[in-house]
Amino acid sequence: MYFLADDERKQLLRYYLPKARELGVAEELRGWNWHQPPLEPVYGAVLALYEVAGKYCSSGRDVFLRRVHGIKGEPNLAMIQGAVLHEILADLLVTAKRAIYLHGAENYRAICETLEKYTPAVSPQFASLSDAEAADLCRKVEILCSFEKARVLSRLQEMLTRHPYIGEDSLANLTIPVVVEQKLNGAFLGLSGSLSTDAFIFSEPMILDLKFGEPRDFHRLGTTGYALVMEALYEFPVNLGCIVYGEFRGDRLIVKRDIHIISDELRQWFIEERDEKARFVAEEIDPGLAGDCPSTCPFYQVCCAGG
Amino acid sequence: MDPVLKVSDIKQYLYCPRIIYFTYVLPVEKKTTPKMEVGKEEHLKTARLEGRRRLRTYGLTEGKRFFNTYLFSPRLGLEGVLDMYITVPRGSFPVDFKNTCRLAVNHKYQLLAYALLLEDWLGRPVRGGFIYLIPLGRAVYVEATPEARLYTKRLLGAIRGLIEREQFPAVPRRAGRCADCEYRNYCGDVG
Repeated sequence: MYFLADDERKQLLRYYLPKARELGVAEELRGWNWHQPPLEPVYGAVLALYEVAGKYCSSGRDVFLRRVHGIKGEPNLAMIQGAVLHEILADLLVTAKRAIYLHGAENYRAICETLEKYTPAVSPQFASLSDAEAADLCRKVEILCSFEKARVLSRLQEMLTRHPYIGEDSLANLTIPVVVEQKLNGAFLGLSGSLSTDAFIFSEPMILDLKFGEPRDFHRLGTTGYALVMEALYEFPVNLGCIVYGEFRGDRLIVKRDIHIISDELRQWFIEERDEKARFVAEEIDPGLAGDCPSTCPFYQVCCAGG
Repeated sequence: MDPVLKVSDIKQYLYCPRIIYFTYVLPVEKKTTPKMEVGKEEHLKTARLEGRRRLRTYGLTEGKRFFNTYLFSPRLGLEGVLDMYITVPRGSFPVDFKNTCRLAVNHKYQLLAYALLLEDWLGRPVRGGFIYLIPLGRAVYVEATPEARLYTKRLLGAIRGLIEREQFPAVPRRAGRCADCEYRNYCGDVG
């Protein structure tokens, strides 16, 4: 899912990378300036990154309910599916890396075998699903696994054919050049101390975020937040983000990637969202109902039970 | 009816939203600060010198300069006097003179607002513009990306929202800015 296609790589190298360098970013909006405004947190409230970046509740009442009243929403089907699929993809990639380290380049057949035999563990999240929902999710898991296995195997073979003297560490890195579920401390920016990005590419610092739902404009806030945190932690510029959208159409997996520049505008938007939501929490301000509450919202019963 | 906003309102809003409040909601008398006086003088001097200079600073060759143009767009409900714009065969570029050494975010969106205005004024796309940093004698190009255009319009919406709600904004994030603010006497809650 995280490997770019040839045309996307071309777009990245010929357009996004030079463009990002040319446009630049206002110095005060770089994550390493977390100690001064506007990045310096105004309130003491600590938020999870998904709370700042998620605008599924347009008024932000979900954050208020969770943080001020301690109400945990009921995860909806899309959330459960997303969590399971995320977990499996990360597990598969880690399994592949582990197999490379375990068997080494000389025993590449064993690596292939391990990958081919890979079956994901049944997630406890399945328990909350109906039989039909569980069956549908199982089908999606299978499609995702077979797609990703083929992709990883193909990259493995490619690297083996190109580098006759390759060692296992390099092979693992070249085959799967992403770190999955990279843990980050967002405390500098008033965010949770244990954030994790879906994936991160170090060669050209790019934050990857995986989604299995409809594309929404605020999804870019997630990559922006992680980019700011990375900049705050490691003091190098992170200019690019990519949201990978997976859609199951019949027995096929359709993958679309939204590569974008972490621009001044996105950074400003993220900070505004952070400050607004942190204010709701710190000052215990109820922002009120969103007005467009979908029945699938985890807090629907709390907000709209009487309606 | 929505008030016609000034391009400088964008700069002011990003600097401190209270300036918008004191301009539109609760108009108060303000004093010109020494910083503003110096800025005005530098602007005039730069404009005078610009007329004799080449366009090399902007990475352009042949072109024509237009100074202090009043721009108004009924569509955007926005007006402003643009320091300078350059017209070359491949397009036009607004130029905003700033008496500062570094490009601040509020300057960027002020320039983008000029770019939007100029676009309406000329009836042709404007791809970006320049902020001329007077002390450095250097021009910084700012591209009017789709995202930046949207954000500039969002800022106009936010300013109008503030005026409509008549709500006194919170203390700005950068409290150090209050030191040489012309409205300082009217804010009771800043040091």
